[in-house]
Parts: sequence; structure tokens; C-alpha cells
Amino acid sequence: MNPRLPSKALTVLRHGSAIAVADLAAVYTWKTWLFGWLVRMLSQVVFFTLVGRLTDAGHNEQFLVIGNALMVCAIEATMVVASSAWERSLGTMPLLVAAPTHLAWTFIVRSLQWVISGTVSSLVALFTLGPAFGLRWTLNSAAAAVLLVLLTALGTYCFGLALAALVADQPALRNIVSNVAYLGMMALCGVQVPVHYWPQPLQLLAQFLPLTHELEALRGVLQGAPVLRILGRAVLGVITGVGWLAVAVVVFGWAARRGRRTGAIEFGT
Amino acid sequence: MNAIEIRGLRRDFPLPNGERGALRTALDGINLTVGEGEVHALLGPNGAGKTTLCKILATVLVPSAGTARILGRDVVTRLATVRPLIGCVFGGDRGLYGRLSARRNLHYWGALYGVPGHELRARAAELLDRFGLTAHADERVETFSRGMKQRLHLARGLMHAPRVLLLDEPTTGMDPVSARDFRTLIGELRREGRSILLTTHDMAEAETVCDRATLIDDGRILHTATPRELGALLSRHERIEATDVPAQLLAQMGTRSGVTSVNTGPDGITLIEVTDQDALTPVLRLLVDAGVTNLATTRPGLEEVYLQLIGDRGMDVAS
Repeated sequence: MNPRLPSKALTVLRHGSAIAVADLAAVYTWKTWLFGWLVRMLSQVVFFTLVGRLTDAGHNEQFLVIGNALMVCAIEATMVVASSAWERSLGTMPLLVAAPTHLAWTFIVRSLQWVISGTVSSLVALFTLGPAFGLRWTLNSAAAAVLLVLLTALGTYCFGLALAALVADQPALRNIVSNVAYLGMMALCGVQVPVHYWPQPLQLLAQFLPLTHELEALRGVLQGAPVLRILGRAVLGVITGVGWLAVAVVVFGWAARRGRRTGAIEFGT
Repeated sequence: MNAIEIRGLRRDFPLPNGERGALRTALDGINLTVGEGEVHALLGPNGAGKTTLCKILATVLVPSAGTARILGRDVVTRLATVRPLIGCVFGGDRGLYGRLSARRNLHYWGALYGVPGHELRARAAELLDRFGLTAHADERVETFSRGMKQRLHLARGLMHAPRVLLLDEPTTGMDPVSARDFRTLIGELRREGRSILLTTHDMAEAETVCDRATLIDDGRILHTATPRELGALLSRHERIEATDVPAQLLAQMGTRSGVTSVNTGPDGITLIEVTDQDALTPVLRLLVDAGVTNLATTRPGLEEVYLQLIGDRGMDVAS
């Protein structure tokens, strides 16, 4: 292994993350983030939790408020599918392909703003709305929640990256894929209904999504489940996230090779 | 070793709405060599194959057949060694991160080319200074004028100190002052010993900065030579341009030995062609003796050669 490789990768990650920060600053001011984005997401959490209360569908409010609060970071992390297509509109794609660094490095860091914003949004939902619907936080459970929300955001981000790689040369599909992905997670991963509600094949599918495991771990934290069980689910979430990251790296490499073959990588004008 | 060596390069694309298997040939078996330290212009109308060639050399497109080498390395099979040797710059507004500052753009692109962290700052500062962008180094690139963006593009392309530069219509849309400054920069790069392949529509640009030029059309190379040699393709005769030549003298000039043609255009400029240098001096003396002082000897320029060989493709040619 080239000894310069880790330091080169770190340099790329460090300077590439500046793009994520700049995009975050351009997309939101603190006012639009607070009153536009966050209030909208908190309303969504309240809405679904109250629907559960009103329909008395057999779910308790705590189940719904935890699920929907954690879903907020998953929604935002999935935005990586759309923002990965920005490279194409910026005209940077051919230059990235021509550079002697794997294409995946750029995409791994360029949308990290969604992880940051999503993590904060979910934590605000859990710590402000949660108590209103019966959640009781201790210092330990709050610390565990911070970690699990971050892992959920990162794992879902990796899942989104893989999807972004799959539609890298079909930018018109990015919003459809992004929406189907987060709505699918909302349905299957135990956010609104327990995973076992679904037929066996869909339950199996849910096991490949980081959100399913991290959500189970978070519920375990709040219900006082054994530590090993919580850790087991959290680790499963990490493993699935890393798996999706590996898929993303492979597919980005494949997309670059395919683009070179077909001529789909256009120079900007 | 040549900076660029192309042999039998071909690239076909499927026709967008054509029959299955129907192909459009963008490059049709071209051969081209660019020496180390040479500035080489690639001239041709839209769709001639210039950008396709640049894309292949930049490793973002693979050829259908043939080979292309950069400093002896094949651009298809030796990506890891070829890519650090090339700097790729194209014209227009795109290809930069508009929300980042100029300095951060350079840091990032340098990092992608493996410039070590401690060298990034110094290299970026040096290039920003060289391209007159230091005062705007920490401003967002989306606020830059087109000329400033183009200078930043060139700085980006130089962050990893490439030995070969591919410039694809780099002055597209630039105002004349920015374009002139850009040509000056290309001259400096040539003096540093970098090899440059420059695709352009702009004949004046090619004539000013290049050592040799290649005319390309319909995926085929028509001619490769120095601008002066290309001029000689059109006319081997010496030419005199003069204004306000008396009508009597014009008539007299037409019958002189060594004078092959005398034509006065609607702009009042008379073009006199003579067979060689020996015939040139007496004609010049005759004109001066008649009081004609506004005169010059010329040869056909690249634009004339281009129009003659490729045709006047109307708006495709921005001279």
C-alpha cells in the first residue's frame, strides 16, 4: 500500500468537506433553516404522532415520536441522491473523472451537510417533542441517542450515496429515486408500523437498511433494553451502512468507466 | 519523447435517433504529434472533432480504435500515470465550485491531484498571485467575471504542475482584454517548457500563440504546419496591401512583369501579388515614388487559410 495514500485521502476529505459547508451555507441561513426546514420537520413528527393518537391504531405515541424524529435525519441524509447530481450541473464531472483520485471520494464528502443538518434536526425533535409525548431522557440515554442519530444519518447517507451512484448518468431520476427511497424507509423500517407488520420478503429487505437497526437500538435505549442487545443492533446498522458505502464506491467507479466508454461525460461550456 | 502522439485515432458514437447500430464518426483515424514544449493549435468548426480529441487525451473518453499517448503513456491503459501529467482547462463558466472561494477551489483541485497538504497553500497563493486573483482569493467564485473565472480555470489546471496542458476553447466568451491577457499567460507557460494543445475557433489567438496549427474538419486532419507554412498553402506569392493608389498607377502595375494580380476591394485597399522577393522591391519603390505611403507586405493569415480550406461555415467561425 502506498504510504501516502491515507494522507492523500485525508487531504481530499478535508478540502472536499469545504464544499459541503459552502453548500449548507448557501442553501440555508440560520433563519431559513430554523423557521423553514426545522419547523416543517417538527410539524411532520407531530402530525404523524397525533395521527397515531387519533386513529388509535394500536401504536403508542412513544413508538411514533421516536420513529418519526429519527426519520428526519434519514430524510435529510437521502438528499445526497439529489445533491450528487450537482456535479453535473456545475460542469465539474469531467474534471473529477480526469483527476487521479477515485470519483467516490468527492461524492462521499460533497454532501455531508445533510448529515450535519439531519443529525441536529433529529436531535431537536427527540429532545424537544419527545418529552411532550412521554419520552424521559437521562444523561446516559441522551448521550446514546446523540450517537445513534449520528450513526443513522451516516448509514442512511451511505445508502443514499449508493443510490446516487446508480443514477449518476441519469440525473433526471434523482428526485424520484430520492423520494421513493425515503418513503420506502418510512414505510418499511419500523417508523410508522413495526417491521413485522410487513410480509416476510419486505421484512428481509428492511434488514439491509441502516435505519431499521439504529431505530431498534434507539427504542431499546429508551425502553431500558439490555446494553448488548442495543449494541448489537447499532453495530448491525453500522455494518449495513458500510456495506452501502462499499456499493457506492464500486458503482461510482463503474459509472466513471461507463461514462468514458459511452461518452456521457460532457465538457462544460 | 513527444508530448502527445496520436496514431489512427477513431471515435464513433451511436446516432441518437438512428437505426440500431448506426454510427456517427467524430474522429476518423487521425494522426498527430505535438512535441515537448510546443504550443499546438487545433482549428476547426463546431463538430469537427476537436473536443472529442481533447476528451480522449484527458482520459474522460475512450477511443473506438487507435492509440493516444501523453509523454509515452497510453491514455487508455495507463490512467494512473497519465492523469497527473495532464492539466485540463475548458472555456465557459462551468467546472468550478461557485460557492467556494477561489483559494478553496484551488486547494480542493490540488488535493485531488495528490498535492501534499503543506504544499497546497503555497501553490495556491503563488498561482492566485500569478493570475492576478490575490485580491479576490477569498471571494466566492460565483461572483467572478468570466475572465476571472477563466484565469482561475487555468490556475486550477496548473495546481499539480502538469507537463501537458489541454485547453479546450479557453477564451470562449471572454472580452478582448481578458483574451489578450490569456494569450500572454499561454506565452509564459510555453517559456516554462509546458506542452500545450489549444483548441480554438479564434484564428488570431492561434496565430499569436501557437508554434504549429492543425486544421481539422469532419473528424479528419486537413493540414498540420506552422501558421506561416499554412499561409503559403494559399498563396506562394508575396503580397502588398496599399491604400489610395492612383488609378493610373494601378493600370501600369497590372502590366509589369512579376506582378500576378492587382485587385482593389470596396474598402479601397489594393492587394498586389508578386511572384517573388525580387519582384517585390521595384513594385514597392514604384508605389512610394507615386506618393503611396500607407502600404504593407503581407502573407495570407490563418483565417484566410481556414476559410479557404474548411469553408465559411457562417457563425461557426469566430475570428
